[in-house]
Amino acid sequence: MPDRPTAHSDNADPRRFRSSPGSAAEAENANPRYFESADDPRIMLEQDIGSDLYEPIPPFPTRTEREGEFYSLADGQMFLNVGPQHPATHGVLRLVLKLSGEQIVDVDPVIGYLHRGVEKICENCDYYHVIDQVDPLEYLSSLFQEWPAVMAFEKIMDVEVPRRAEYIRVLTGELLRISSHTLYMGFMALDLGGLTPILYSFIERDEISEMLASITGARMLFNYFRIGGVNGDLNHEFMSRLGDWMSRAGKQAEAITGLLNENEIFVRRMRPIGRLDRATALRYGVTGANIRASGVPFDVRRAHPYSIYPELDFNIPTREEGDSLARYLMRVDEIKESIRIIDQCLHQMPDGPIMARLPRLLRPRPGRAWAAVEAPRGMLGVYAISDGSDQPFRFRIHDPSFMNLEVVPALLPGNLLADTMAVVSSLDPVMGGVDR
Amino acid sequence: MDRTLKARLEIRLGTFLHGAVRQRGDETEIRVAPGDVPQVLTILHDSIDLRFEILADLTGVDTGNEMQVVYHLWSPSSPDWLRVVAEGISREDPRAPSATFLWTGAEWLEREAYDMFGIVFEGNRDLRRILMPADYMSFPLRKDFLLADDASRSPGAGVRHSERASRPATLAHDAPGSPGDPAIRRAPAS
Repeated sequence: MPDRPTAHSDNADPRRFRSSPGSAAEAENANPRYFESADDPRIMLEQDIGSDLYEPIPPFPTRTEREGEFYSLADGQMFLNVGPQHPATHGVLRLVLKLSGEQIVDVDPVIGYLHRGVEKICENCDYYHVIDQVDPLEYLSSLFQEWPAVMAFEKIMDVEVPRRAEYIRVLTGELLRISSHTLYMGFMALDLGGLTPILYSFIERDEISEMLASITGARMLFNYFRIGGVNGDLNHEFMSRLGDWMSRAGKQAEAITGLLNENEIFVRRMRPIGRLDRATALRYGVTGANIRASGVPFDVRRAHPYSIYPELDFNIPTREEGDSLARYLMRVDEIKESIRIIDQCLHQMPDGPIMARLPRLLRPRPGRAWAAVEAPRGMLGVYAISDGSDQPFRFRIHDPSFMNLEVVPALLPGNLLADTMAVVSSLDPVMGGVDR
Repeated sequence: MDRTLKARLEIRLGTFLHGAVRQRGDETEIRVAPGDVPQVLTILHDSIDLRFEILADLTGVDTGNEMQVVYHLWSPSSPDWLRVVAEGISREDPRAPSATFLWTGAEWLEREAYDMFGIVFEGNRDLRRILMPADYMSFPLRKDFLLADDASRSPGAGVRHSERASRPATLAHDAPGSPGDPAIRRAPAS
């Protein structure tokens, strides 16, 4: 098919790739637009970031089978670049869409714009410092980032966490889950063009942020969990705010969901798009509310119980439909279960210490541990290796948003262009966590 | 600690296992050769008494001497996490078979392991960089990739106060990059 336009039929210009590393002077003579990176002399940087940076077609030859397949167009198809700076992408996500008319044929998500190398930084940090390094990754639910990290370190060091600390972890975690899910519901509507629910979401989120700020001192990036416990005990301000909020939380949740669940436009828009069946969800490693909306009752709190969850009474709601609306309704159900858990925590909260006794400088013996928790977006795991020094030898963060975003190329084909952001935001990725 | 899982693994995977099945806390660990990974994962996924149907994580590890690919699996048949370590992958030319034939979701995880460690997963259809820019040329999570401000690891740049007491002085024959180079952190023999 020589007459079909392909991405690189006439592209012989290796603009961003150097085939072999040469001297800087040589490269400058060859192309004055490039200069040597101060970090790594093998890397050449562009003088000015030109407008071609976000061209849909990458300016170098295709490298893999899949990329070659994606970047060749059949008759009547076109590429459309969405993002990375797009108001509805929940961060810095770029999607290259292959369209046929208004129908999506294929998608190539491009991520990494927020990559900060946190795993590398954590491998060069003290064990205590890791906690505030992982905090800002998933910024909407940062306690859940700290949780598997401290759990993995506690496993390596055989630290026993006091029961009161475990209760406080679950209590604050479930509050944050409600906050995160409420915000999801608002953004979900916002991406479909409904402006009102986000305002109600922020009322709830603000209450919870203030509540957590009274014990952690911060509204978003808490740095609250510690290896062996938590940083501060519950105080009077927190308890009075929480009691106040709990008395109307159920009613408030009903009010917010009533805005959308009974909205015919919203329901009919969400119902047919982005259907994810059970087998695909398992194959793609989707977790969290997204896989439970496809009928798989996988929730780490029950599938592999940690902390005090085995002692608590709550359900794992599932839905069979697997479409965007089901994923939305899953969050609504989970908020109700979280309110139940908070209620039980408050009634069963034991007295006692909130920290195990640990030395100032931790040097755990060599060992490995994997710990996972159920974050609002799915299973969040940490694999830590200790080599006996005061820094982790390897610190791996497995983020649920990363896996949930991977399924987008399986969900979008066949849908219309206008549904792109509805489907993506129904999966609830947070790009800070995806890119790490 | 799930003792029955250990027995089931030994029956199903007898010849593939390197060393004993290790169990600690709520984790079970097996070690296999990288070439056996497709067979081992297929047995773990498909056997009626194992059913490890969720790939919880796939990542690379650079121990300083060799590369490893580490899989964490979850099964409804056991209360333990299962860790499969494909060990003994060379650092010079790291290659491992892909797990995408079982879990399509492994594609991005393998892309990330390739991006960070340079491990080439044979059978992955889309093995290009995912987090770093496309024209990046290093593999940042390798142990010989030193941070610019990493004084504790850079040869000759001094050691951190907290490490001064226990870290041995640099020996003359420990040239940078050589196997004895103290700047490259190595995992303990285990």
